[in-house]
Parts: sequence; C-alpha cells; structure tokens
Amino acid sequence: MEMKSPLGGLVAVATLPATLARGGARVTRRAIGDLAEASVNAMLESPRTEQIVDTVLASPLMERTLARALEGQLVEALSRDVVRYAVLERVAEAILEGDALESVLDRAGAADVPRRVTERMLADGVVERTVTRVLEGPELEQALTAALESPGMERLVIRVMESRLLDEAVERLLESEELWLLVREIAYSPEVTDALSHQGVGFADQVAGSVRARSRRADAWLERVARRALRRKAAGELPPGPPVDPA
Amino acid sequence: MSTPARDPGDLVAARQAHAVNARVHAGTLTEATAPVYEGLVTRGIAFAIDSAVINLVALVVSVSVGLALSVLDPSANAETLALAVGAFAYAVWSVGYFVVFWSTTGQTPGDRLLQIRVCRASDGDVLRPRKSLLRFGAMMLCALPLFAGFLPILVDNRRRGPHDRLAGSVVVSAPVEPRPGRA
Repeated sequence: MEMKSPLGGLVAVATLPATLARGGARVTRRAIGDLAEASVNAMLESPRTEQIVDTVLASPLMERTLARALEGQLVEALSRDVVRYAVLERVAEAILEGDALESVLDRAGAADVPRRVTERMLADGVVERTVTRVLEGPELEQALTAALESPGMERLVIRVMESRLLDEAVERLLESEELWLLVREIAYSPEVTDALSHQGVGFADQVAGSVRARSRRADAWLERVARRALRRKAAGELPPGPPVDPA
Repeated sequence: MSTPARDPGDLVAARQAHAVNARVHAGTLTEATAPVYEGLVTRGIAFAIDSAVINLVALVVSVSVGLALSVLDPSANAETLALAVGAFAYAVWSVGYFVVFWSTTGQTPGDRLLQIRVCRASDGDVLRPRKSLLRFGAMMLCALPLFAGFLPILVDNRRRGPHDRLAGSVVVSAPVEPRPGRA
C-alpha cells in the first residue's frame, strides 16, 4: 500500500482554509444571485411595481426627461444609427416578405379604411387641389403635346378617319331619332332662345338708339330755328314738372 | 374700369340734347328730378310708327275680310254695309289703340321704341281714359291744318302742344333700365 507523503499532507492542511473559503464564496454568490433573481421576479410580478411604473410614466418628471432627451443629441444619434444599420430597410423587407402587410391590408379593408380615407381626402379638398395642380401644371400639357405630336397618334387618327367604322357611326348617328330629339331640345332650350332673342333685341335696340339720337338732334335744331324765327329767348322760370318714372 | 367706347354721333346728340334740356328747363330743377320733355320730331316718329302698326293690322284684317267676302259674292248693299262696318272698326281700333296705351302704360309701342312716355303734367301718372280720349281728339284737330297745330311744341317751355294743354299732359323721356344679365 502506498504511503502518503508527509509534505503533501501538510500542503493539503495548509490550503484547506483557502479551499473552504473559495467554496463558501461560490455558494454565497450563487445564493445571492438566486436571491436577487427571485427578488427581481417578485418585484416585476408585483402589482405595486406596475403602479409605481404608471406613476413614474404619468409624472411631469418623465415628460421633462423625454423633452430633454429629444432636445439633445439623442434624436440625431438615433437617426444616424437607424440609417447606419439600415433599420428601415430591414423593417420594410420583413414587412413585405411576411404576411404582416397582407393582414394589415385585410384589416384596413375590413375596417373600411379606403372609403374613409377617400371621404377625408374629398372633404379636405385634396382631390380638387390635386386636379387643379395637374391641370395647371406643365406636366399634363407636355404629356398631351407629346402624345399628339407622336407619329403613332397621327397614324391612329388617319386609320380612324379612313375606317368604315367612322362612316357607319356617323350614318347611324344621323339616322337616330335621339340625335334629332337632342338637337330639338337644345334649339328650344331657354338658353338658346334667350341668346337668339337677345341678339334680335340687341339689333333692334341699336337701330332704335340711332333713331332716338337723330330725332333728338333734329328736335334741338328745329327748336333753335323756330325760336330764332320767332325771336323768342330761352325759357325762363318753369313750373315743376312731373317726377321722372323710367319705364 | 374702362369706359365703353361711344359713337361720336351719340356724343354729339347727347350734348345737343343736354343743351336743349338745359335751355328748356333753365336750370330750375335738379338733374335728379328734372324730367326731359320730348320734342316734335321724336314724338312725330313715334306717332308714325304707331300709325304704321295700326294701318298694318287694319290692312291685314281688311284683306282677310275682303277675301272672305269675295268668296261669298255679296250684294252691293252688303258691300256698303261691310265698308261702313270696316270704317267704324278702323276708327274704333285707332282711337282704342292710343287711348288704351296712354291710359295703361303711358306708352304706345312707338313711344316705347323711342323711349318716351305720355303722363299727367301734375304728378307724372298715366292719363285717365277720358283725358286720353280728349287728347286723341285734340291731336286729330291739330293734324287737320296740315299738322300746323303741333307747331307750338317747338316754342313751348315744356314742349307741349295744344292737345297736351287740353289734356293736362306732357311727353317725357322714359329710358329703359338695362335688364340684368344682358351684355
């Protein structure tokens, strides 16, 4: 049987306290860790913690903190990081690749969002402004000019003009009773008859105005001659005439 | 705003008419209340237009009646009777034309075209039918001596003829207000 070395026994005896101390410390750390974890879990699960968090979030302190953070360099730093790490692209890719977008669109459709958005745009005049912008802007004119000047449009027009389809359409249109009803309606419409009568009355007014002007000139001349012949002077004090009542 | 261009003839006429009015009214009435009395030529043209209307209507009616009678081949007595009735109808039509228009609107169609109006000298209202009839009768009398009865209009302060004095009427300008919406 092998005998132990007395030196080794001495070393073991000498290091025994240190070994014990290390073991104790490990056990203690583990116990403290377990205790801390349990405390944190208990704290997180506690309703009081939730109340405290709500109180803090609703406090002016939180508002001031957030305001200071937004006033500082935080926003710029965040923006830089968002750009640097392509956060938006990654989020967009994730949304487009997954089913989230479709489900969001389905939910938006189910919630009648397109109709509400359309009504809101109509109510806010967005459509009118857009149409006005398109009509007043140079883009539409440029597009129309390009389309009209294109050889394709010219060929298309020539083909339409030379086609039998146009002749037949015109022929049918002229034969249709509806066209003549429409023409009759337009011809007898108050606007057209009013315009025609105004034209006639305008001419009659012009002739009558000319006759009036000439007759009054003749009156003035004739009375001048008559007064000169009779050596009568201009009229003196007159009795008051009737009030003027324009017809 | 720019003033619309006016015909030089209109400007001259307006200036002359204004001068005559100033002379006729002698500046005693303000421009807002002063009536513009109308002269012999203007009234003569209006009367000529009315006469044309009266005779045109009478002509159409008499031709129609004559054609109808020609088909029936009436006797000589019936023709005489028809002529008498026609003459009476013509007289009634002529008198009624003036009396009705003067008593209702104060304007015959000819007056309307010339923008003149017959009204009472005292208050500017339309004439009563009896006065209108009187005025018409006096007018016919004035026309008998080759229209010489109308000459006093040329020298009267208010351009009144004997028939106007008799009926207590004057003839004033009545410009038509432009209708809204007309260019």
